[in-house]
Amino acid sequence: MVEFYASAFHPIRDDLSAAHARAWTRIARPGTWWDGNARVAIAAETRRASGCALCRRRKEALSPLAIEGSHDSLAQLPEIVVEVVHRVRTDPGRLGERWYRSVIARDLTEEQYVEIVSVVAHTVAIDTMARGLGLDAPPLPDPEPGLPSHYRPAGAKPGGAWVPWVEPAYAGAAEAGIYPNERPPANIMKAMSLVPEEVRSFFDLVTHQYLPGAVMRDFSREYRAISHAQIELLAARVSALNRCLY
Amino acid sequence: MLLRASGQTHNRTYQLVAVTGAVEGDGGVPYGRRLVMFAEAVLGEDDVALARARDALMAAMGPPALVDAAGVVGLFNAIDRVADATGIPLEPEKAAASADFRAALDLDWFAVVDRS
Repeated sequence: MVEFYASAFHPIRDDLSAAHARAWTRIARPGTWWDGNARVAIAAETRRASGCALCRRRKEALSPLAIEGSHDSLAQLPEIVVEVVHRVRTDPGRLGERWYRSVIARDLTEEQYVEIVSVVAHTVAIDTMARGLGLDAPPLPDPEPGLPSHYRPAGAKPGGAWVPWVEPAYAGAAEAGIYPNERPPANIMKAMSLVPEEVRSFFDLVTHQYLPGAVMRDFSREYRAISHAQIELLAARVSALNRCLY
Repeated sequence: MLLRASGQTHNRTYQLVAVTGAVEGDGGVPYGRRLVMFAEAVLGEDDVALARARDALMAAMGPPALVDAAGVVGLFNAIDRVADATGIPLEPEKAAASADFRAALDLDWFAVVDRS
């Protein structure tokens, strides 16, 4: 068991522990549009959102935007970033394109937005697993110094999602490896391709916390301690609870 | 969709309504009820219910299965957020392949519920 879960009561696969350690290391480093301080602050704000009174009132309301107020935040990030982090963390099933357009119109770029979503998703994946196992959420990493790269793929264009994405035919050398070679990428792979490093990082988690892409449909053998059917039942139930059609 | 595909490969019929939580039994999936209850408890706020669901799953399937189940629940709790926050559509082939059970299980309302 690698150090990331050294104190875990249940033995955790080494490859999974290592994937979580890598995710934490990447969150601490300068990203593409946010520096290490901001990325760790986004992860911390993701945790804070669960106790936000405004988010709770919105979650209970017929329409979330009918409820006004201020988020209970750590006051480390701009208000618009806090709004995105809290909505994505606490009420994702009712996010709409109108809301997305409104936050992008408020001094937040599409690229910054995608990276926020990715950091929230990494944090949720790791923290939810810890909750399932009865473990404390792992301590956040210390931010590393440095500047974000500001790399935007030249081939990113509006497609079927709210955010621009990179179709495989327009992926340049810097996007190498973000999509499988043997089949068209699913839309969930293209979703964050405006920030290719986040695709690489998130799908590193997918590979170890779920299954590698190449074996998702290999029903001839099992790769985990639970079967394909058991995995897919869990996945589908979670998505239903989150009201996620995808 | 992969749940159904898995069943077809092994010539088994799973009760897909299990994904809505509306099945008392396993839905044809070994330990299905325990897994569903575990997922519901992890996403819920009742820590006592979660401890009970965790213990039941571990007693039935063992620690490695509990770890993998917690991992899958965590990962899909994140994937759903990526999908919903970026507004990706369901791929046409997946939409076509899942149209019957989405209709049967009344899942399409997720797409038209008040999103703002």
